[in-house]
Amino acid sequence: MYRTEDVLSTLSMIRQHKLDVRTVTMGIDLHPCSSPDLSILCSRIRERLVHYAGRLRGVCRDVEARYGIPIVNRRIAVSPIASIAAGHTAEGYLAVAKTLDSVAAEVEVDLVGGYTALVQKGWTDGDRRLIATLPEVLSTTSRVCASVNVGTTAAGINMDAILALGRVLKETAARTKDHDGFGCAKLVIFANAPTDNPFMAGAFHGSGEPDCVINIGVSGPGVVKAAVEDMVAHSPSRPTLGEIAEEIKSTAFRVTRVGELIGREVADRLGVSFGIVDLSLAPTPQVGDSVGEILQAMGVRRIGAPGSTAALALLNDAVKKGGSFASSSVGGLSGAFVAVSEDSALANAVEVGDLTLAKLEAMTAVCSVGLDMIAVPGDTDAETLAALIADEIAIGVINHKTTAVRVIPVPEKKAGERAVFGGLFGEMAILPIHAAGGSADFVLQGGRIPAPLSSLKN
Amino acid sequence: MGIVYSITGTLLDQGGNILELSQTVMRDYFTIILAVEFDSPHDPKELAATIIERGKRFNLRVVVMEASEKQGPAPASIVDGDRFIITVLGDDAPGNIHTISGCLAAHGVNIVDLHARVVANQFSLVMEAYLPSELSPAMIRGELARLCRDSKFEAFVQHENIFLATTEPSPVRVGSALRNQGAAGVPH
Repeated sequence: MYRTEDVLSTLSMIRQHKLDVRTVTMGIDLHPCSSPDLSILCSRIRERLVHYAGRLRGVCRDVEARYGIPIVNRRIAVSPIASIAAGHTAEGYLAVAKTLDSVAAEVEVDLVGGYTALVQKGWTDGDRRLIATLPEVLSTTSRVCASVNVGTTAAGINMDAILALGRVLKETAARTKDHDGFGCAKLVIFANAPTDNPFMAGAFHGSGEPDCVINIGVSGPGVVKAAVEDMVAHSPSRPTLGEIAEEIKSTAFRVTRVGELIGREVADRLGVSFGIVDLSLAPTPQVGDSVGEILQAMGVRRIGAPGSTAALALLNDAVKKGGSFASSSVGGLSGAFVAVSEDSALANAVEVGDLTLAKLEAMTAVCSVGLDMIAVPGDTDAETLAALIADEIAIGVINHKTTAVRVIPVPEKKAGERAVFGGLFGEMAILPIHAAGGSADFVLQGGRIPAPLSSLKN
Repeated sequence: MGIVYSITGTLLDQGGNILELSQTVMRDYFTIILAVEFDSPHDPKELAATIIERGKRFNLRVVVMEASEKQGPAPASIVDGDRFIITVLGDDAPGNIHTISGCLAAHGVNIVDLHARVVANQFSLVMEAYLPSELSPAMIRGELARLCRDSKFEAFVQHENIFLATTEPSPVRVGSALRNQGAAGVPH
């Protein structure tokens, strides 16, 4: 017999604290689709995606019913399109993007990631074409997500690509100005991008992966917050930070186990490989589903105040430790996201002026991802956007970790005004960039920032 | 303290070998069920009297029944299907368990373990049950939801693996849990 307390505790994680499987992401290798004939290429991509993902919706629905755990999103991640469509013109790249978009609708997944280029050490013609088509793809498709890896600890940082992406952001924002530049929310710029990340917009099916794989993203900021709040409220004396870390760790264990179970079951039913489970505390705009609220439960009442970085470091580390004990298949990003517009507590902290861009950048040094879902003034120049990206990428490259930038220059809006992206993307007050324009010459030098000394390990 | 010691000592002295035992304490009342094998025949009434006499300081009430040879582990048909945890939460009211168990019985759901309690007028019922393979969790969930609308409680039907995964550090597995289903599938 299961202990009633254990059953009710697991149940309350689902009912009251919003534990869910945030995404079942199917990774599909598209290399067998390559062809110099564009119509054959697109036709093969369509056939392969339908072949693997055609049953994804039904299987997810059955597994959801079996376990009573909501599966919020179904997604597809494909091999980086820069290499799959290599040799084709820009029109060819656009045709591939449209194919991905239409097949995603056909198999009823909400997003498809992998319109991707990996350019950390240099870029090919194909990479350049893909990057050049980003504004049109991001503004004319609804489900296609893009990512560009511009730096790794081993290779250094491709500053030419970063400058190009600064310009891409400007153009994409302009093309989607009626939606506050929302197109930029579908583009992630990475350092040390993981090849098995199930979370969008940065998911792609990297090299070294099998033909088809199921990766799982579980979330659960609400569950962790409830655990911390409960501990603080019911401890006979004030719990130490070590005790709080232990509580987060054991909660992360349970959440990760849910993800692995669902992932293995979905993969088993589809007859494909199970890849990884990524426990990342990914917020949604709903109150109670916020990473910021966890920091508040730990005692950081004003997010952005001194201590915020330390609290986030504790949280991120405890989540990773709980996850690694729960499963040998932990991958992706696995930590805490500070996606500002998607997190009501973080967005509020920006609104009242407690949380600044500089503080956010510091916080990203100790957590998953980086400057995520951040709205900046629409008149920010491309060079400043590139410099912002370069700073964040440098943090990842030097610290041997993944960092990423998802920044939206909101057209025709200034700092302090409101950017509204809607749905799970949320809204926030636009953050000012201090000394904007002050580093244009640095960015325009171009070239590559060499790999750090710490990369020389062989 | 000492009831288990007393009873098992009596059974040992009588040449008994315990095959299975289940014990619980509810509201300070101790209850134990044992399946015991003896080398030689025993009169059930005499055996009960011996247990009561040796444990007289506990004021025991004992029933001894002879089990037929056929009463082994539950037949496969009884434990057909997967094992689910059915949880019902809500306001306490007379007839809750009767209503719910009636619904489950009507759909061929085999309850193999059950625990219910009321705390501050809030009723909670946790059952382990086998759903017949032709009955989907969504169907029984729908049936229970219909009951719940009238009776002010909520019901949840979830495969047991979700609880195994979240409470045990053993490797995650899918499919039916790796347990001795015959032994565990005692029909109620």
